Amino acid sequence: MLTRFVGARVIDPVHATPDAVRDLYVRDGRIVSGPRDGEPVHRTWDAAGAIAMAGAIDLHTHIGGGKVNIARGLLPELGREHPLAATEVCGACTMGPAPSTLATGYRYAAMGYTACFEPAMLPVNARQAHMEMGDTPIVDKGAYAMLGNDDFLLRLLADGADRREIRDYVAWTLHATQAIAIKVVNAGGISAFKFNQRSLDVDEAHVHYGVTPRTILRELARAVHDLGVPHPLHVHSSNLGVPGNVDSTLATIDAAEGLPIHLTHLQFHSYGTEGDRRFSSAAARIAEKVNASPNVSVDVGQIMFGQTVTASGDSMLQYRNARHGRPAKWVVMDIECDAGCGVVPFRYRDRDFVNALQWAIGLELFLLIRDPWRVFLTTDHPNGGPFTSYPHLIKLLMDGSFRKDVLARINPEAAAMTALGSLEREYSLQEIAIMTRAAPARILGLEDHGHLGAGAAANIVIYEPHPDPEVMFATPRWVFKDGELVAERGEVKAVPQGAIHTVKPDFDRGIERRLKTWFEQHHTQSLASFKIDDEEVCECGRAPRLAVHACRARSS
Amino acid sequence: MSLREATCAFCGLLCDDLEVEVAGGVLRVVRGGCARSEAAFAALGEPAAPPPRIAGQAATLDAAVAAAADVLRAARRPLIGGLDVDVNGMRSTLALARRIGAVVDHADGAAKYRNLHVLQEFGGITTTFAEARNRADLVVLVGDGWSRRFPRFLERIVAPGASGAATAARRIVTVTAIDPATRMALPKGAEVLALDAPLVGLPAVCTMLQALVEGRPVQPARLAGVSQEALVRCAEWIRAARYGVVVWSAADLDWPHAELTVQAIARLVRTLNGSTRFAALPLAGTDGDLTANAVQTWQSGVPLPASYANGSVDFDPNRYALRDVLARGEADALVWVSSLSGAVPPPASGVPTIALTRADVRLGMAPSVQIPVATPGIDASGHLLRSDKVITLRLPRLRENGLPSASTVLDALLGQLEQRC
Repeated sequence: MLTRFVGARVIDPVHATPDAVRDLYVRDGRIVSGPRDGEPVHRTWDAAGAIAMAGAIDLHTHIGGGKVNIARGLLPELGREHPLAATEVCGACTMGPAPSTLATGYRYAAMGYTACFEPAMLPVNARQAHMEMGDTPIVDKGAYAMLGNDDFLLRLLADGADRREIRDYVAWTLHATQAIAIKVVNAGGISAFKFNQRSLDVDEAHVHYGVTPRTILRELARAVHDLGVPHPLHVHSSNLGVPGNVDSTLATIDAAEGLPIHLTHLQFHSYGTEGDRRFSSAAARIAEKVNASPNVSVDVGQIMFGQTVTASGDSMLQYRNARHGRPAKWVVMDIECDAGCGVVPFRYRDRDFVNALQWAIGLELFLLIRDPWRVFLTTDHPNGGPFTSYPHLIKLLMDGSFRKDVLARINPEAAAMTALGSLEREYSLQEIAIMTRAAPARILGLEDHGHLGAGAAANIVIYEPHPDPEVMFATPRWVFKDGELVAERGEVKAVPQGAIHTVKPDFDRGIERRLKTWFEQHHTQSLASFKIDDEEVCECGRAPRLAVHACRARSS
Repeated sequence: MSLREATCAFCGLLCDDLEVEVAGGVLRVVRGGCARSEAAFAALGEPAAPPPRIAGQAATLDAAVAAAADVLRAARRPLIGGLDVDVNGMRSTLALARRIGAVVDHADGAAKYRNLHVLQEFGGITTTFAEARNRADLVVLVGDGWSRRFPRFLERIVAPGASGAATAARRIVTVTAIDPATRMALPKGAEVLALDAPLVGLPAVCTMLQALVEGRPVQPARLAGVSQEALVRCAEWIRAARYGVVVWSAADLDWPHAELTVQAIARLVRTLNGSTRFAALPLAGTDGDLTANAVQTWQSGVPLPASYANGSVDFDPNRYALRDVLARGEADALVWVSSLSGAVPPPASGVPTIALTRADVRLGMAPSVQIPVATPGIDASGHLLRSDKVITLRLPRLRENGLPSASTVLDALLGQLEQRC
């Protein structure tokens, strides 16, 4: 079966002609260069005058795992306010800032997203995370396993374990939890909070293990790099949300010692202490450093005005910031010698000085970081705002005069403290396509995603050009997932199940001997119970297939 | 005969260190057992696959599913209850609920809601088993469910010398009066303080402890039935703890507005975290209650009990509580799904009932349709959420008896309903 898309302006930054009117051909869910000799075209989609892009990829969105489910349970009123009625193909569920898994799949797909990555999968919670992602239909999924606050690694580091052992443990974790990358959240800080330490700077020692965040960051970045995992260590830096945290963010970049790292929700980590309120933008300093550090990629974690809920593994900082939450109810958890979590609702207001400046800082980062291949469009869903606000965010990036209009309405003190009004840059469609498609695919190692060349998955989004980019990106005319029409003008048409993306680097399984003893001495489940094999993850994740991406081990 | 490693599905602890002897399909716990698991495994008996029944008469599975579909087609306000199921059982239950617009609740929904109510009004600071095992230097035990309902909790989590970073000495407070046998079971070597408060006096005890911990001018002598000295000492222990854990089972707190007691505990824990570390560890997860609620919450965005009537989902603990819906005569068909312990039969309601039960369960009155289904962790593999709501464990299958899983039957039922409309 050959399908043809005719007449669209194809924006495909990966290829030699990144912006040209050309036909696209799809056979068996894959893009092909054209018909074989004499092969008939079974179906033609007339896309004349439209814009085609690959399916979008969200590399940092909290879609699976216990903490979002805690948020749902904590805030049933948000679900009640945002019902999503059943349709011919969709089940009744709710949207809102902590959407149901069903709604997450439906709305992402309707917006032209075809792959989403859960960035904070606690290894002990991995089964549930895969189950929730399995009940997130249509889109492909993958998850980053959290390390760096688990007692096993901290003990290894405290005992001065050699790098091979750390590398084997990192690889073992990727296999056992069926993850595609490794994330570290407030390195050492979540664990330190369990010992009543209330803050932990990059060079401060963990009160029990004596290890510093700098050591944890360096060793994890090294292990991920040496194993050849495509995605660099995904880093949620120390001191999230704390005024003056620019210094620890810059120190975090240095801790990588030139190895690749990805700094996530950078907006929350770009704060200075200038001005009467001792809270200011440090976006310029951060952007300068990122521009000068080719080993660093970032996503922004833009905040959007309105009600949302923050769900983070960073129990230390969530506890500290809980007093700012609205409505005033929140959950903090210590988790299983592995990690932690904190769920705090937030209502970001444009008339509030701090919130307004946070909004401006995010946009400053977008506009000051020059290379669209290294800065990704996220709101840290749902922490800065729900993913459904992406079209609005794209408009803020593409339309300078609209940006200035909004700037004129925010808290005037905050507006006076941001350079945003002087930043004239407007993102092009090409740059939006890079930061939402081509670049996330590349940085995750998904060779057959994020582009429209032969061999790619036939994830195709057909947009109708519109003077308002928010309108254009909110409701594409057609969204195809693996060649199947899944959404049309915002309405879901079919609900297939997506694949699970993982990596499986080589390692020495001898590490399991030490882990088995550790589990017996400290855990409350056996090592065998902890591990998730391929068959089980496909059952839990309702996945038709496991997409295992290549790792190219590097020696160092 | 063979020995199999097993995970016990019969309480929320989900102990995964059992060894079970399988002889001719009969199961006997030989290691890692407790009174509860040994009885539960023994009650399973020989593997059997009794036929489904339509109004008490044996029938094929296809005929039973067709009859069940007829019941549901005629129903305008169906109710799905029980939910003593594993993850896939709940996934299929919800797919059916969405299709037929059912109200959905767990058999023990009322107990579960005591904790959920406080979460939704206040929040909480909680911990998990391995944290408690490794770090707790003080364990405050409320009620006696931690022993009666979760027999290995002390052994696996509280016994000193378990392991870990923090605990040179572990202190234990028993807040409410417990029987001598339970007291004897407390770990040797731990320093124990017994408050012996009456269970219904808990709200007052919690409030008094909060006041003492905060150093407010209160008169602990004025609390009836509790020794003043013990209360003051308890407050000192709590203040001195570096990692304190307070444990209860909401099923023990069976009186009107028991959520106020849970809230008092949550408040005390929050106060303590101003200076030290302290966390709640509520025990639950038995009979699939946490599993059913978790799957409902992630798939729909709101917890149980909920209604799927009119093509939308609505959470309302007052309107959709199972027993109230039946008592008010608001259901005209009942689907009862109970594949794990089978402890709670479908309530006598007078409405046409479709019961998916364990093979060994005999119901007093013949329901419209009864379909025996496999028990997860016994006749089929499955997944359940543990008490601390973070760990999901796989329950491997231990024997073969040819029964379909609840999920298979529910999917077939859904298929029937979708075929003919």
